[in-house]
Amino acid sequence: MQTAECKPKMKESRLTRPQKRLVKTIVLQIVLVSLSFVFLFPFLWMLVTALKTPQELLHGIEKFFPDSPQWGNFVTAVTTVPFLMYLKNSLILVFFAVTGTLFSATLTAYAFAKLRWPGRDIFFVVMLATMMIPPQAILIPSYILYAHIGWLGTRLPLIVPYFFGGGAAFFIFLLRQFFKGIPNELMESAIVDGAGHLKIFIYLMLPLTKPALITVALITFMFVWNDYFGPLIFLSNPDHWTLALGLRAFETQFTGRYELMMAAAILVMSPTIVLFFVAQKHFIEGITFTGIKG
Amino acid sequence: MKKLLIVPVLLVFGLTLAACGDREDIGDKTEIRFWHMSPTGSESYSEMRQIIRDFNESQDEYHVRGTGFNFWDYWDRIGVAIASGDAPNIAFHTLDNVVLRAQGGALANISELIAADIAKGEDTLDLEVYLENQLEFATHDDDLYALPFSGTTRMLFYNLDIFEANGLTEDDVPTTWSELETVARQLDDVDADGRINILGFDPTFGEGTYHGFLWQKGLDFFDEDLNPTLDTDEHLEVLEWMLDFNDIYSRSRLDAFGEESQMLGISPFAAGRLGMVISSDGLYQTMRSYGADINYGVAPIPVPDEDGIRVNWGSGFSIEIYDDDPEKVEGTWEFLKYLQDYDTQIRLAETLGFLMSNIPAMEEYAEGNPILEAFVEELHYAVDKVYVPYAPNWHAMDWMQYFEEGLAGRKSAAEVLEAARDNYIQKRENYERMQ
Amino acid sequence: MAKKTKDGSLTLLIKREKKVGFAFASPWLIGLAVFTAFPMLASFFLSFTRYDMVSSPRFIGLTNYRILFFSDNLFWTSLWNTLYHVMLAVPLGLIVGILLALLLNSRIRGIGVYRTIFYLPNVVSIVAMGLLWLWLFQPHFGLINQVLDPVYSLFNMDPIGWYRDASWSKFTIVLMGLWTAGGSMIIYLAQMQDIPKEYYEAAEIDGAGSLRRIYHITLPLMTPSIFFNFIMGIIAGFQVFAIAHIMTGGGPARSTYYFGYYLFDKMIMDHQMGSASAMAWVLLFVTLIITILALRLNRYVFYLGEQD
Repeated sequence: MQTAECKPKMKESRLTRPQKRLVKTIVLQIVLVSLSFVFLFPFLWMLVTALKTPQELLHGIEKFFPDSPQWGNFVTAVTTVPFLMYLKNSLILVFFAVTGTLFSATLTAYAFAKLRWPGRDIFFVVMLATMMIPPQAILIPSYILYAHIGWLGTRLPLIVPYFFGGGAAFFIFLLRQFFKGIPNELMESAIVDGAGHLKIFIYLMLPLTKPALITVALITFMFVWNDYFGPLIFLSNPDHWTLALGLRAFETQFTGRYELMMAAAILVMSPTIVLFFVAQKHFIEGITFTGIKG
Repeated sequence: MKKLLIVPVLLVFGLTLAACGDREDIGDKTEIRFWHMSPTGSESYSEMRQIIRDFNESQDEYHVRGTGFNFWDYWDRIGVAIASGDAPNIAFHTLDNVVLRAQGGALANISELIAADIAKGEDTLDLEVYLENQLEFATHDDDLYALPFSGTTRMLFYNLDIFEANGLTEDDVPTTWSELETVARQLDDVDADGRINILGFDPTFGEGTYHGFLWQKGLDFFDEDLNPTLDTDEHLEVLEWMLDFNDIYSRSRLDAFGEESQMLGISPFAAGRLGMVISSDGLYQTMRSYGADINYGVAPIPVPDEDGIRVNWGSGFSIEIYDDDPEKVEGTWEFLKYLQDYDTQIRLAETLGFLMSNIPAMEEYAEGNPILEAFVEELHYAVDKVYVPYAPNWHAMDWMQYFEEGLAGRKSAAEVLEAARDNYIQKRENYERMQ
Repeated sequence: MAKKTKDGSLTLLIKREKKVGFAFASPWLIGLAVFTAFPMLASFFLSFTRYDMVSSPRFIGLTNYRILFFSDNLFWTSLWNTLYHVMLAVPLGLIVGILLALLLNSRIRGIGVYRTIFYLPNVVSIVAMGLLWLWLFQPHFGLINQVLDPVYSLFNMDPIGWYRDASWSKFTIVLMGLWTAGGSMIIYLAQMQDIPKEYYEAAEIDGAGSLRRIYHITLPLMTPSIFFNFIMGIIAGFQVFAIAHIMTGGGPARSTYYFGYYLFDKMIMDHQMGSASAMAWVLLFVTLIITILALRLNRYVFYLGEQD
């Protein structure tokens, strides 16, 4: 860092370095604050809707803010459904999905990024192709498959596939991109030192791609946590239902309780927001190759 | 390395955890799976559970296990289940396409079950309580394959506050198309600068449909062989009447009004921006559950001035028995009879909020509530839309795309009809190629 | 990498690598065979049948494909709409995602909150997003047209109709999709953490300004994730459907009736699963061809690990 501070010449600029930085910060803050509003609006709207009375909802956004915030809507949303059971179910699915995806995606990505084996490039394209079929087209065959294995009525259809790269094509590709960024010399010197690929994978690849692994875990978490369609179709037993699915009870044909729907939706999404906030901190102090490389 | 070892251990643990079900023990009773639209936590849930429980406790041979899905998720769920041969034993579906599932062999033959009851000398369902039109939709090859479960009908909602503000009373509620136009003009409330505050009526708002208006003139989309018609001057006349109803205002003003209504959440009628609107009893349910504070009434939809026919588009749910498990049909049939029973139908109507199919029961249920009474009366004039195998959703996407072109003024009424007709013809040809 | 190893062990090493390669890929390979292959092959089979999802499928050969190619106007309309969408959405999505990431890769106060806010649309209910879009894009009351009003009067032109105007609707849908650019942003951010700090330090010593550092260091070193988002953008772009379903219903004048939308209608509305399956495989094939072409750009990707 001190090299940066005792910098040589600053030809044209009239502003001093700290001044320049200040101006930059202010401009950036203004840009970010104004953009934030546009990105935050849907959430704000959900929040004010969740706090309204049904009568207020009849008038749409004629009045944006509720007269007296109905915080009780959140309580109602939680207490009218078996919240704890749904929460437990969501956590079970998320836990296995994240573990399973990290397990299968990292291993496979390593094979695609750093190992040479026959058919690798063909399989890579096949993997991409599995993402290109519209999901509706394979819905019924998948259901029939699980019915034949006898998994309907259990959670297995939403657990086991993750350990075998189910839905992981996206992450395998992503991690492949990151693994390819790890210098080959590092691997070579490890091999010369007698390390096997498993060792390289565990002690070299995984630690060096921590931000990517966090990203994979985060996206998997978000997807599984928010997904109601998979649970709707594949969880035949309502005792296995998740929060995202269970809280859809408030969406009915006519007598919809919009305020409860939105309260429920906020409850579902809030853990993901907190998690994102925590996880993104790791993106600031990322690891670098400094030191290992030379 | 340690971390990797944990994975299989957790996997084994998880699989045992995930695989074990925690279902209540029902002894040697036969389990019957029933799917409905009252998911856990919804307003109708506890009463629906009680209705099922009462059946379970009334006998000791069968145990009905109900699963509720919300209305919007229900169709995907049951569609996949039927296609995969994993349908529940009994469930709701849509009455207007029973024939599809009957032809496909998915449904148990209700007529046979009724005949078997009669042969055994037992009490059975009295079909007299249902509307004939609804029974027709449940019939395939002269046999019943489902029963009507609910009934929906469409009426004219009018806002009495707006009527009174313009010096009108309930006696002025229009009964013909020309009266409708006159009254609508009186209810319009437009700013000095041309902005529309209140629109008296628009046939394209709410649940006003082109086919509904056609029926009132004795016309239809299709002839008896299900070929599209739409090419007569009368068809054109009705469409032009719909599209031009409010043409005293500029397209842009109407669009602006529509945009505002879009932002008005639940319904522009409930928000007091429309003097009159055509809608089903769903709007009544919505306004009741949101506590709308407007003073309103309902009346039959006004008919064309000459030879107008009192008819409206009615739809409804069916209740059907899936044929996958013949051993369970008998118990399922008992449960179906229980659900269609006079008392249960009243309980269901109170629970679910919509009108059920058992007309005498609904008459008792509606008694004392003028709006519901009017709806039950109007059920007798409700007709469901025909099932067209090559275009099952002929009234939705297939038609709306062209209709909206007309609405936006990009196509004339004649062009709309021609384009829609050509599309139906192509769909029919393609459908026949597949046979 | 083998070139540095001693000659004797070279063949052994390659042999071993083959086995190891399969071993590492085995979770996914097993999953492919057990969970993915059957549904995909089944849908391929269904594309040669007439299947209403109630009665059993009946084999009708190539009829579904023949109908789609030769006597179904909507098929070509929806395919063209989709191609148009991909051509517009992929580059715009890349640019916005990268810009967001560059903007949010600073140490400014409250950066974590900003990142979270920009990611929010990815988890917010689609109903709420739809309302935002109405609020912004409505031709009469939309905020955008109100802001642009002086511009319109200056050039004496009609306000843009956005999603209600057939010539703007596809572009509007693309703009709406940009709200979820935060999804690709986090991938860029993750990649930016891998850029060795000393590169920047060296550049600073050379007197390079921040723009030049971005252009000469950040962007080249981000190419692996740009390439990733490019390919994924293509694949996702071909399946565009949800936004149109909510905002435009495929209109006006079918201008946003995308391939995925038509496929959905064939399946859900028309009960023609055989035809829908055929469409799915056409889509897969088209996407595959374009993706394989796009994969050739891999040679311009700068993988730090593969530079010697």
